[in-house]
Amino acid sequence: MSVPIVQNKDERSAFDEVFLPHLPEAYRLAQWLTGNASDAEDIVQEAALRAYRGIKTFGAVNARAWSLTIVRNTAFSWLTKNRPKTVVFMNDLSATEQQELEREGPHGTRIETPEETALFKADAEEVQKAMAQLPAQFREVIVLREINQMNYRDIAEITNVPIGTVMSRLSRGRQLLIALLGDRK
Amino acid sequence: MVASLRDNDELQLNAYCDGELDPVSASEFERRLASDQPLKARYDRLLSLRQAVRSLPQLDMPAGLQARIQSRLDAERPGNVTVLRQRSWSFQALAAAAVLGAVVSSAVMMTIERYGQREEVASEVVAGHIRGLLAPQPFDIASSDRHTVKPWFTARLPESPRVPDLTAQGFALLGGRVDVIGRDPVATIVYKHAAHTVSVTTLRPGQSVPEQAIAGYNVRSWSDAHFTYIAVSDLPSADLATFERAFSAEAPVPEIK
Repeated sequence: MSVPIVQNKDERSAFDEVFLPHLPEAYRLAQWLTGNASDAEDIVQEAALRAYRGIKTFGAVNARAWSLTIVRNTAFSWLTKNRPKTVVFMNDLSATEQQELEREGPHGTRIETPEETALFKADAEEVQKAMAQLPAQFREVIVLREINQMNYRDIAEITNVPIGTVMSRLSRGRQLLIALLGDRK
Repeated sequence: MVASLRDNDELQLNAYCDGELDPVSASEFERRLASDQPLKARYDRLLSLRQAVRSLPQLDMPAGLQARIQSRLDAERPGNVTVLRQRSWSFQALAAAAVLGAVVSSAVMMTIERYGQREEVASEVVAGHIRGLLAPQPFDIASSDRHTVKPWFTARLPESPRVPDLTAQGFALLGGRVDVIGRDPVATIVYKHAAHTVSVTTLRPGQSVPEQAIAGYNVRSWSDAHFTYIAVSDLPSADLATFERAFSAEAPVPEIK
Protein backbone atom coordinates (compact mmCIF):
# COMPACT_ATOMS: atom_id res chain seq x y z
CA MET A 1 0.00 0.00 0.00
CA SER A 2 1.60 3.20 -1.11
CA VAL A 3 -0.99 5.58 0.25
CA PRO A 4 0.09 5.68 3.91
CA ILE A 5 3.72 6.22 2.91
CA VAL A 6 2.82 9.22 0.82
CA GLN A 7 0.63 10.44 3.60
CA ASN A 8 3.46 10.03 6.06
CA LYS A 9 5.77 12.03 3.86
CA ASP A 10 3.23 14.84 3.54
CA GLU A 11 2.68 15.01 7.23
CA ARG A 12 6.38 15.10 7.76
CA SER A 13 6.90 18.02 5.43
CA ALA A 14 3.94 19.77 7.00
CA PHE A 15 5.53 19.21 10.40
CA ASP A 16 8.85 20.57 9.13
CA GLU A 17 7.13 23.64 7.83
CA VAL A 18 4.78 24.31 10.70
CA PHE A 19 6.44 23.18 13.92
CA LEU A 20 10.20 23.05 13.35
CA PRO A 21 10.77 26.78 12.78
CA HIS A 22 9.47 27.40 16.30
CA LEU A 23 11.66 24.83 18.02
CA PRO A 24 14.07 27.25 19.74
CA GLU A 25 11.12 29.24 21.06
CA ALA A 26 9.34 26.07 22.09
CA TYR A 27 12.38 25.02 24.05
CA ARG A 28 12.65 28.37 25.77
CA LEU A 29 8.98 28.28 26.75
CA ALA A 30 9.26 24.74 28.11
CA GLN A 31 12.37 25.67 30.01
CA TRP A 32 10.60 28.58 31.66
CA LEU A 33 7.51 26.57 32.49
CA THR A 34 9.46 23.73 34.10
CA GLY A 35 12.45 25.73 35.28
CA ASN A 36 14.80 23.01 34.18
CA ALA A 37 16.76 22.24 31.02
CA SER A 38 16.45 18.47 30.80
CA ASP A 39 12.72 18.48 31.58
CA ALA A 40 12.34 21.12 28.89
CA GLU A 41 14.03 18.85 26.40
CA ASP A 42 11.69 15.96 27.26
CA ILE A 43 8.69 18.21 26.91
CA VAL A 44 9.76 19.60 23.55
CA GLN A 45 10.35 16.08 22.22
CA GLU A 46 6.97 14.95 23.45
CA ALA A 47 5.32 18.08 22.05
CA ALA A 48 7.02 17.53 18.69
CA LEU A 49 5.58 14.03 18.57
CA ARG A 50 2.12 15.33 19.44
CA ALA A 51 2.42 18.04 16.83
CA TYR A 52 3.46 15.51 14.21
CA ARG A 53 0.58 13.22 15.01
CA GLY A 54 -1.86 16.08 15.08
CA ILE A 55 -0.51 18.03 12.13
CA LYS A 56 -3.87 17.58 10.38
CA THR A 57 -5.51 19.71 13.01
CA PHE A 58 -3.31 22.66 12.04
CA GLY A 59 -5.71 25.18 10.52
CA ALA A 60 -3.12 27.14 8.50
CA VAL A 61 -3.77 30.21 10.57
CA ASN A 62 -0.96 30.85 13.00
CA ALA A 63 1.77 28.23 13.02
CA ARG A 64 3.60 29.85 15.89
CA ALA A 65 0.61 30.01 18.21
CA TRP A 66 -0.44 26.50 17.21
CA SER A 67 3.01 25.09 17.96
CA LEU A 68 3.41 26.90 21.25
CA THR A 69 -0.08 25.81 22.33
CA ILE A 70 1.01 22.19 22.02
CA VAL A 71 4.22 22.87 23.93
CA ARG A 72 2.32 24.68 26.64
CA ASN A 73 -0.26 21.93 27.01
CA THR A 74 2.40 19.24 27.02
CA ALA A 75 4.30 21.14 29.70
CA PHE A 76 1.19 21.48 31.83
CA SER A 77 0.25 17.83 31.64
CA TRP A 78 3.85 16.98 32.46
CA LEU A 79 3.79 19.32 35.45
CA THR A 80 0.49 17.90 36.68
CA LYS A 81 1.91 14.41 36.51
CA ASN A 82 5.37 15.08 37.90
CA ARG A 83 4.93 18.08 40.14
CA PRO A 84 1.24 18.20 40.99
CA LYS A 85 1.80 20.56 43.88
CA THR A 86 3.13 23.37 41.72
CA VAL A 87 0.09 23.51 39.48
CA VAL A 88 -3.17 24.87 40.74
CA PHE A 89 -5.65 24.62 37.95
CA MET A 90 -8.05 27.48 37.79
CA ASN A 91 -10.79 25.11 36.69
CA ASP A 92 -10.39 23.08 39.86
CA LEU A 93 -11.24 26.08 41.98
CA SER A 94 -14.62 27.54 42.80
CA ALA A 95 -15.59 30.78 41.12
CA THR A 96 -14.86 32.74 44.28
CA GLU A 97 -11.49 31.10 44.75
CA GLN A 98 -10.64 31.79 41.15
CA GLN A 99 -11.55 35.40 41.57
CA GLU A 100 -9.52 35.65 44.73
CA LEU A 101 -6.50 34.17 43.06
CA GLU A 102 -6.87 36.46 40.06
CA ARG A 103 -7.40 39.50 42.18
CA GLU A 104 -5.31 38.89 45.22
CA GLY A 105 -2.55 36.54 44.31
CA PRO A 106 -1.85 33.09 45.63
CA HIS A 107 -1.58 33.60 49.36
CA GLY A 108 -4.97 35.09 50.01
CA THR A 109 -3.49 38.44 50.84
CA ARG A 110 -3.96 41.51 48.76
CA ILE A 111 -0.71 42.22 46.96
CA GLU A 112 0.90 45.28 48.44
CA THR A 113 3.35 46.54 45.92
CA PRO A 114 5.90 48.59 47.81
CA GLU A 115 5.71 52.15 46.49
CA GLU A 116 9.37 52.76 47.12
CA THR A 117 10.49 49.96 44.82
CA ALA A 118 11.14 52.24 41.92
CA LEU A 119 13.51 50.61 39.49
CA PHE A 120 14.99 47.16 39.37
CA LYS A 121 18.62 46.60 38.87
CA ALA A 122 18.83 43.61 36.60
CA ASP A 123 19.99 41.19 39.27
CA ALA A 124 19.33 38.13 37.16
CA GLU A 125 19.44 35.62 39.98
CA GLU A 126 16.83 37.36 42.09
CA VAL A 127 14.53 37.96 39.15
CA GLN A 128 14.86 34.32 38.18
CA LYS A 129 14.00 33.20 41.71
CA ALA A 130 10.99 35.48 41.81
CA MET A 131 9.81 34.12 38.46
CA ALA A 132 10.14 30.58 39.79
CA GLN A 133 8.00 31.48 42.79
CA LEU A 134 5.11 32.70 40.66
CA PRO A 135 2.17 30.31 40.33
CA ALA A 136 2.30 28.60 36.95
CA GLN A 137 -0.60 30.44 35.35
CA PHE A 138 0.90 33.83 36.16
CA ARG A 139 4.36 32.77 35.11
CA GLU A 140 3.21 31.48 31.75
CA VAL A 141 1.52 34.71 30.66
CA ILE A 142 4.58 36.70 31.69
CA VAL A 143 6.90 34.33 29.83
CA LEU A 144 4.70 34.36 26.71
CA ARG A 145 4.54 38.14 26.82
CA GLU A 146 8.10 39.08 27.79
CA ILE A 147 10.23 36.19 26.61
CA ASN A 148 8.24 35.02 23.58
CA GLN A 149 6.94 38.57 23.02
CA MET A 150 3.49 37.47 21.90
CA ASN A 151 0.47 39.73 21.73
CA TYR A 152 -2.58 39.34 23.99
CA ARG A 153 -4.62 37.59 21.34
CA ASP A 154 -2.04 34.88 20.80
CA ILE A 155 -1.48 34.47 24.53
CA ALA A 156 -5.23 34.03 24.97
CA GLU A 157 -5.26 31.41 22.25
CA ILE A 158 -2.31 29.50 23.68
CA THR A 159 -3.47 29.52 27.28
CA ASN A 160 -7.10 28.98 26.27
CA VAL A 161 -8.55 31.80 28.36
CA PRO A 162 -10.33 35.03 27.35
CA ILE A 163 -8.20 38.12 26.63
CA GLY A 164 -9.58 39.78 29.75
CA THR A 165 -8.13 36.98 31.85
CA VAL A 166 -4.79 37.33 30.08
CA MET A 167 -4.82 41.02 30.96
CA SER A 168 -5.65 40.50 34.61
CA ARG A 169 -3.12 37.67 34.97
CA LEU A 170 -0.39 39.79 33.40
CA SER A 171 -1.18 42.67 35.67
CA ARG A 172 -1.38 40.48 38.80
CA GLY A 173 1.68 38.50 37.83
CA ARG A 174 3.73 41.64 37.42
CA GLN A 175 2.51 43.01 40.73
CA LEU A 176 3.46 39.74 42.37
CA LEU A 177 6.92 39.92 40.84
CA ILE A 178 7.33 43.50 42.03
CA ALA A 179 6.22 42.47 45.53
CA LEU A 180 8.56 39.48 45.56
CA LEU A 181 11.48 41.54 44.38
CA GLY A 182 10.62 44.37 46.75
CA ASP A 183 10.67 41.98 49.72
CA ARG A 184 14.27 41.18 49.13
CA LYS A 185 15.47 44.72 49.37
CA MET B 1 -15.12 51.95 44.06
CA VAL B 2 -11.66 53.39 44.48
CA ALA B 3 -10.20 49.90 44.32
CA SER B 4 -11.93 49.10 41.04
CA LEU B 5 -10.73 52.37 39.52
CA ARG B 6 -7.21 51.50 40.56
CA ASP B 7 -7.59 48.01 39.07
CA ASN B 8 -8.73 49.49 35.82
CA ASP B 9 -5.74 51.84 35.80
CA GLU B 10 -3.47 48.92 36.41
CA LEU B 11 -4.94 47.03 33.44
CA GLN B 12 -4.66 50.06 31.21
CA LEU B 13 -1.12 50.68 32.33
CA ASN B 14 -0.20 47.10 31.48
CA ALA B 15 -1.99 47.22 28.13
CA TYR B 16 -0.23 50.48 27.33
CA CYS B 17 3.19 49.00 28.14
CA ASP B 18 2.34 46.01 25.97
CA GLY B 19 1.28 48.18 23.03
CA GLU B 20 -2.23 46.77 23.17
CA LEU B 21 -4.20 50.00 23.54
CA ASP B 22 -5.89 51.38 20.45
CA PRO B 23 -4.33 54.65 19.20
CA VAL B 24 -7.01 56.85 20.72
CA SER B 25 -6.86 55.30 24.20
CA ALA B 26 -3.06 55.22 23.98
CA SER B 27 -2.78 58.93 23.33
CA GLU B 28 -5.32 59.64 26.06
CA PHE B 29 -3.26 57.51 28.39
CA GLU B 30 -0.08 59.34 27.39
CA ARG B 31 -1.70 62.63 28.29
CA ARG B 32 -2.58 61.26 31.73
CA LEU B 33 0.91 59.87 32.11
CA ALA B 34 2.41 63.30 31.48
CA SER B 35 0.45 64.92 34.28
CA ASP B 36 0.06 62.09 36.82
CA GLN B 37 3.32 61.59 38.75
CA PRO B 38 2.37 58.45 40.71
CA LEU B 39 1.07 56.83 37.52
CA LYS B 40 4.31 57.73 35.75
CA ALA B 41 6.28 56.15 38.61
CA ARG B 42 4.30 52.93 38.25
CA TYR B 43 4.85 53.03 34.52
CA ASP B 44 8.62 53.40 34.96
CA ARG B 45 8.59 50.58 37.46
CA LEU B 46 6.80 48.26 35.03
CA LEU B 47 9.28 49.15 32.29
CA SER B 48 12.24 48.39 34.52
CA LEU B 49 10.63 45.10 35.55
CA ARG B 50 10.19 44.25 31.88
CA GLN B 51 13.81 45.15 31.25
CA ALA B 52 14.90 42.91 34.12
CA VAL B 53 12.82 39.96 32.88
CA ARG B 54 13.83 40.38 29.26
CA SER B 55 17.51 40.56 30.08
CA LEU B 56 17.45 37.26 31.95
CA PRO B 57 19.92 34.83 30.42
CA GLN B 58 18.20 32.41 28.04
CA LEU B 59 19.33 28.85 27.68
CA ASP B 60 20.08 27.96 24.10
CA MET B 61 18.44 24.93 22.65
CA PRO B 62 20.71 21.89 22.98
CA ALA B 63 22.55 21.33 19.72
CA GLY B 64 21.28 17.80 19.11
CA LEU B 65 17.63 18.33 20.00
CA GLN B 66 16.37 18.87 16.49
CA ALA B 67 18.23 15.82 15.23
CA ARG B 68 16.85 13.71 18.09
CA ILE B 69 13.32 14.83 17.25
CA GLN B 70 13.89 14.04 13.58
CA SER B 71 15.11 10.54 14.31
CA ARG B 72 12.27 9.91 16.71
CA LEU B 73 9.81 10.88 14.01
CA ASP B 74 11.64 8.66 11.53
CA ALA B 75 10.81 5.80 13.87
CA GLU B 76 7.13 6.73 13.71
CA ARG B 77 5.89 4.50 10.93
CA PRO B 78 2.70 5.23 9.11
CA GLY B 79 -0.18 3.60 10.89
CA ASN B 80 1.44 3.79 14.29
CA VAL B 81 -1.03 6.38 15.39
CA THR B 82 -4.05 4.29 14.61
CA VAL B 83 -2.42 1.11 15.87
CA LEU B 84 -1.94 2.80 19.21
CA ARG B 85 -5.63 3.39 19.57
CA GLN B 86 -7.16 0.47 17.72
CA ARG B 87 -6.17 -2.97 18.77
CA SER B 88 -8.35 -5.20 16.63
CA TRP B 89 -9.44 -3.76 13.38
CA SER B 90 -11.24 -5.77 10.79
CA PHE B 91 -9.90 -5.76 7.25
CA GLN B 92 -12.95 -3.84 6.21
CA ALA B 93 -12.22 -1.09 8.69
CA LEU B 94 -8.60 -1.02 7.58
CA ALA B 95 -9.63 -0.60 3.97
CA ALA B 96 -11.99 2.19 4.96
CA ALA B 97 -9.20 3.81 6.92
CA ALA B 98 -6.88 3.67 3.92
CA VAL B 99 -9.44 5.49 1.81
CA LEU B 100 -10.05 8.02 4.56
CA GLY B 101 -6.30 8.41 4.93
CA ALA B 102 -5.95 9.26 1.27
CA VAL B 103 -8.73 11.82 1.50
CA VAL B 104 -7.34 13.40 4.63
CA SER B 105 -3.86 13.42 3.20
CA SER B 106 -4.90 15.25 0.05
CA ALA B 107 -6.74 17.75 2.22
CA VAL B 108 -3.53 18.32 4.19
CA MET B 109 -1.60 18.81 0.98
CA MET B 110 -4.12 21.25 -0.38
CA THR B 111 -4.07 23.15 2.86
CA ILE B 112 -0.31 23.26 2.83
CA GLU B 113 -0.13 24.28 -0.81
CA ARG B 114 -2.62 27.02 -0.15
CA TYR B 115 -0.63 28.01 2.88
CA GLY B 116 2.54 28.20 0.77
CA GLN B 117 0.85 30.29 -1.88
CA ARG B 118 -0.54 32.62 0.70
CA GLU B 119 2.85 33.09 2.30
CA GLU B 120 4.05 34.14 -1.12
CA VAL B 121 1.15 36.54 -1.58
CA ALA B 122 1.88 38.10 1.81
CA SER B 123 5.55 38.63 1.05
CA GLU B 124 4.77 40.09 -2.38
CA VAL B 125 2.34 42.51 -0.80
CA VAL B 126 4.97 43.51 1.77
CA ALA B 127 7.52 43.90 -1.03
CA GLY B 128 5.10 46.32 -2.73
CA HIS B 129 4.84 48.29 0.50
CA ILE B 130 8.64 48.44 0.90
CA ARG B 131 9.10 49.49 -2.72
CA GLY B 132 6.55 52.22 -2.11
CA LEU B 133 8.46 53.46 0.93
CA LEU B 134 11.75 53.48 -0.99
CA ALA B 135 10.29 55.43 -3.91
CA PRO B 136 10.15 59.23 -3.64
CA GLN B 137 6.52 58.72 -2.66
CA PRO B 138 4.62 55.56 -1.70
CA PHE B 139 1.88 56.11 -4.31
CA ASP B 140 1.43 56.65 -8.06
CA ILE B 141 -1.46 59.03 -7.68
CA ALA B 142 -1.29 61.51 -4.84
CA SER B 143 -4.59 62.70 -3.57
CA SER B 144 -6.38 63.07 -0.32
CA ASP B 145 -9.61 63.12 -2.30
CA ARG B 146 -11.14 59.69 -2.67
CA HIS B 147 -13.08 60.90 -5.70
CA THR B 148 -9.76 61.32 -7.50
CA VAL B 149 -8.20 58.04 -6.42
CA LYS B 150 -11.16 55.81 -7.24
CA PRO B 151 -11.47 56.88 -10.93
CA TRP B 152 -7.71 56.58 -11.31
CA PHE B 153 -7.97 52.92 -10.31
CA THR B 154 -11.04 52.36 -12.46
CA ALA B 155 -9.14 53.64 -15.50
CA ARG B 156 -6.31 51.16 -14.97
CA LEU B 157 -7.72 48.00 -13.43
CA PRO B 158 -10.51 45.60 -14.27
CA GLU B 159 -11.76 45.72 -10.71
CA SER B 160 -11.26 48.62 -8.40
CA PRO B 161 -12.13 48.90 -4.74
CA ARG B 162 -13.96 51.63 -2.97
CA VAL B 163 -11.60 54.20 -1.50
CA PRO B 164 -12.94 55.20 1.89
CA ASP B 165 -12.01 58.48 3.51
CA LEU B 166 -10.79 57.65 7.02
CA THR B 167 -9.47 61.06 8.05
CA ALA B 168 -11.96 61.23 10.90
CA GLN B 169 -10.65 57.91 12.22
CA GLY B 170 -7.05 59.15 12.15
CA PHE B 171 -5.96 57.65 8.84
CA ALA B 172 -5.42 60.30 6.18
CA LEU B 173 -5.71 59.23 2.55
CA LEU B 174 -2.39 59.75 0.73
CA GLY B 175 -3.17 58.23 -2.63
CA GLY B 176 -3.08 54.99 -4.57
CA ARG B 177 -0.72 52.83 -6.57
CA VAL B 178 -0.83 49.72 -8.68
CA ASP B 179 1.09 46.72 -7.33
CA VAL B 180 1.69 43.52 -9.22
CA ILE B 181 0.91 40.41 -7.16
CA GLY B 182 1.66 37.20 -8.99
CA ARG B 183 0.90 38.40 -12.52
CA ASP B 184 -2.06 40.55 -11.65
CA PRO B 185 -2.00 44.31 -11.35
CA VAL B 186 -3.99 45.21 -8.24
CA ALA B 187 -5.06 48.38 -6.48
CA THR B 188 -3.23 49.51 -3.35
CA ILE B 189 -4.62 52.39 -1.32
CA VAL B 190 -2.15 54.31 0.82
CA TYR B 191 -2.98 55.99 4.12
CA LYS B 192 -0.94 57.84 6.68
CA HIS B 193 -1.30 57.62 10.46
CA ALA B 194 1.07 59.99 12.29
CA ALA B 195 4.48 59.04 10.85
CA HIS B 196 3.32 55.62 9.68
CA THR B 197 2.31 54.58 6.21
CA VAL B 198 -0.41 51.96 5.76
CA SER B 199 -0.77 50.20 2.41
CA VAL B 200 -3.99 48.32 1.70
CA THR B 201 -3.67 45.98 -1.24
CA THR B 202 -6.89 44.63 -2.71
CA LEU B 203 -6.97 41.13 -4.14
CA ARG B 204 -9.67 38.87 -5.46
CA PRO B 205 -11.61 37.43 -2.50
CA GLY B 206 -10.50 34.24 -0.80
CA GLN B 207 -6.83 35.09 -0.56
CA SER B 208 -6.59 36.27 3.02
CA VAL B 209 -3.32 35.51 4.76
CA PRO B 210 -2.60 34.85 8.43
CA GLU B 211 -1.76 37.80 10.61
CA GLN B 212 2.02 37.96 10.70
CA ALA B 213 5.08 40.13 10.62
CA ILE B 214 7.30 40.09 7.55
CA ALA B 215 10.58 41.99 7.49
CA GLY B 216 9.42 44.02 10.45
CA TYR B 217 6.08 45.01 8.92
CA ASN B 218 2.80 43.85 10.37
CA VAL B 219 0.44 42.20 7.93
CA ARG B 220 -3.28 41.88 8.50
CA SER B 221 -5.91 40.76 6.09
CA TRP B 222 -9.66 40.49 5.90
CA SER B 223 -12.21 39.93 3.20
CA ASP B 224 -15.64 40.98 2.13
CA ALA B 225 -17.75 39.58 -0.69
CA HIS B 226 -15.75 41.39 -3.35
CA PHE B 227 -12.16 41.71 -2.22
CA THR B 228 -9.54 40.36 0.13
CA TYR B 229 -7.72 43.28 1.72
CA ILE B 230 -4.15 42.99 2.95
CA ALA B 231 -2.93 45.87 5.09
CA VAL B 232 0.79 46.34 5.65
CA SER B 233 2.35 48.82 8.02
CA ASP B 234 4.97 49.36 10.67
CA LEU B 235 2.10 50.21 13.03
CA PRO B 236 1.68 47.84 16.00
CA SER B 237 -0.72 45.03 15.19
CA ALA B 238 -3.34 46.43 17.58
CA ASP B 239 -3.37 49.68 15.59
CA LEU B 240 -3.63 47.76 12.38
CA ALA B 241 -6.68 46.02 13.85
CA THR B 242 -8.18 49.45 14.53
CA PHE B 243 -7.46 50.36 10.95
CA GLU B 244 -9.23 47.24 9.72
CA ARG B 245 -12.31 48.14 11.77
CA ALA B 246 -12.33 51.69 10.42
CA PHE B 247 -11.81 50.55 6.84
CA SER B 248 -14.46 47.82 6.96
CA ALA B 249 -16.96 50.14 8.57
CA GLU B 250 -16.48 52.64 5.78
CA ALA B 251 -16.36 50.23 2.87
CA PRO B 252 -19.33 47.91 3.32
CA VAL B 253 -20.61 47.72 -0.26
CA PRO B 254 -18.30 47.92 -3.24
CA GLU B 255 -19.64 50.12 -6.00
CA ILE B 256 -21.33 48.47 -8.90
CA LYS B 257 -19.87 49.66 -12.15
